[in-house]
Amino acid sequence: MDALRALLEFVANNILGQVPILIGLIVLVGLLLQRKSFRETIEGTVRAALGVQILFIGVGVFVAGLVAFQTIVSSAFRLTPPTSTNTLADFLAQRGGDITLIITVGFFFHLILVAVLRRLFNVGFVYLTGHLMFWISVVVAAVFVEVFPAVDTLTIVLVGGLVVAVYWTIQPLYIDRFMRRVTGHDQFGYGHTSSSAAWLAGALGRFVGDPEKHDSEKIKLPDSLAFFKDINVSTFVVITVIMLLAAIFADPKVVADEAAKENANLNPYLWTLIAGLKFAGGIAILLFGVRMFLAEMVPAFKGISDRLIPGARPALDVPVVFPYAPTAVMIGFLSGTVVFLILMGIFGAAGIATIVPPMIMLFFPGGGAGVFGNAFGGWRGAVLGGAINGLFLAVGQAITWGMLSNTAPELATLADPDWYIITWILLPVLLAVKAVVGG
Amino acid sequence: MVRGIDDPLQVLTVCGVGMGSSLILKMTAQRALERLGVKAHVEHTDLPGLRGMTPDVIIAQPLHASEVRGLAPIVVEVTNFLDEEALMSALAPRLREAGWLPDDR
Repeated sequence: MDALRALLEFVANNILGQVPILIGLIVLVGLLLQRKSFRETIEGTVRAALGVQILFIGVGVFVAGLVAFQTIVSSAFRLTPPTSTNTLADFLAQRGGDITLIITVGFFFHLILVAVLRRLFNVGFVYLTGHLMFWISVVVAAVFVEVFPAVDTLTIVLVGGLVVAVYWTIQPLYIDRFMRRVTGHDQFGYGHTSSSAAWLAGALGRFVGDPEKHDSEKIKLPDSLAFFKDINVSTFVVITVIMLLAAIFADPKVVADEAAKENANLNPYLWTLIAGLKFAGGIAILLFGVRMFLAEMVPAFKGISDRLIPGARPALDVPVVFPYAPTAVMIGFLSGTVVFLILMGIFGAAGIATIVPPMIMLFFPGGGAGVFGNAFGGWRGAVLGGAINGLFLAVGQAITWGMLSNTAPELATLADPDWYIITWILLPVLLAVKAVVGG
Repeated sequence: MVRGIDDPLQVLTVCGVGMGSSLILKMTAQRALERLGVKAHVEHTDLPGLRGMTPDVIIAQPLHASEVRGLAPIVVEVTNFLDEEALMSALAPRLREAGWLPDDR
């Protein structure tokens, strides 16, 4: 028995607890099953493990940049910065293995659900938006650990896997009617965690405008807005401008202390430039890491799905709707950003919360909601869709940080609308379960 | 050595962050090029990552047309990320023009 326990402990500490190794192994099995060449197998395995390692480094850099931003902006509003007992970087180190298993087990549960739905009702999409499969698994794991801090791997993987599988199955289905209107065909579904904002934009678009009379694509936006499409640039510009303004109104000692952490000789106002670069750089590193391991995982998931459910249609990432209304994408992004910045000012001035503009989440979900809004209400629908997204992101960040403050509060600053909704539904459900069964 | 026949073409699919839709597009492009009989090495990237790369072909969506124009000898725009046939008919004449597609195809 002792030998068995020693073996299980070895596996838990060295494989399940070391995410780069666990993901490397999962990808290795996938590549071997696909009978890839020796070279491709080695390359794919190493790239996947390396991608995870890079992601972790990026999260660390991003969290540091986020803290600097929150400190300065909070000081400008005379607020206490958001507090937490844990960080996303710590949480990924503590529960990364569980998260990886939730994605893997959840994907198989999802394939079973899709296969059953296809058999019974001839509907269903296979969810292939890999980065969001990863992030939704992190969100579900965080909510779980928030309620049950000592939950064991088997329970969190099976129940968490089921939760993500149900979400991946239902989400492309409930928005399918609107998606067909957007693309004009049914070859693929919408697989993105902006679905709630996009659905509302589609449902409410008809009340504000007409898709033909107010078609967004008849409008020409100035080319000078194009730089916002590069999210690295837009993140840096928006974060730095806000930090510089905040530094002027903040307690000079707070600004000087933060700047001194970087370099004691640095001018505190010029330091905001460096801080903005670090914030945007952290996000860029994080995205690079995710891209690297997904490049190995998504084709494997697609291969498995093609073999197990031949002919199943995929649900794809939000940019697949952008070609149908590129101007609506920019309109949705801009209107959401304006709404978010106004709410950021109001929340700060009223002492409610310090929130951070999430440029990626304003661009992609805002763009998606813009396209869905345009399909039903023209450019006015696109403005509404973006505004709904901006509202979701501002309110969601303000109230969800505290809900995840013992696990991974930074998720609240990286979230799309559906992440908040999943948190808001799952947290009370698990608390009710805990009240009944005890914790 | 003929590009596309002996020497693989360097093909890049591009999207905003280089994670989701460009990866799907890469899988579509790989099959489309295979069906055309073109030897190609397809990678996916984000818009900023594209700078400093020298691909033979860039495949992107119309939203990014102004950013990718001129960064490769052949730039092709796609609307439907899964449509192999449409991508093949967009690529074939351009590849033939560049001498990168065997004449008999």
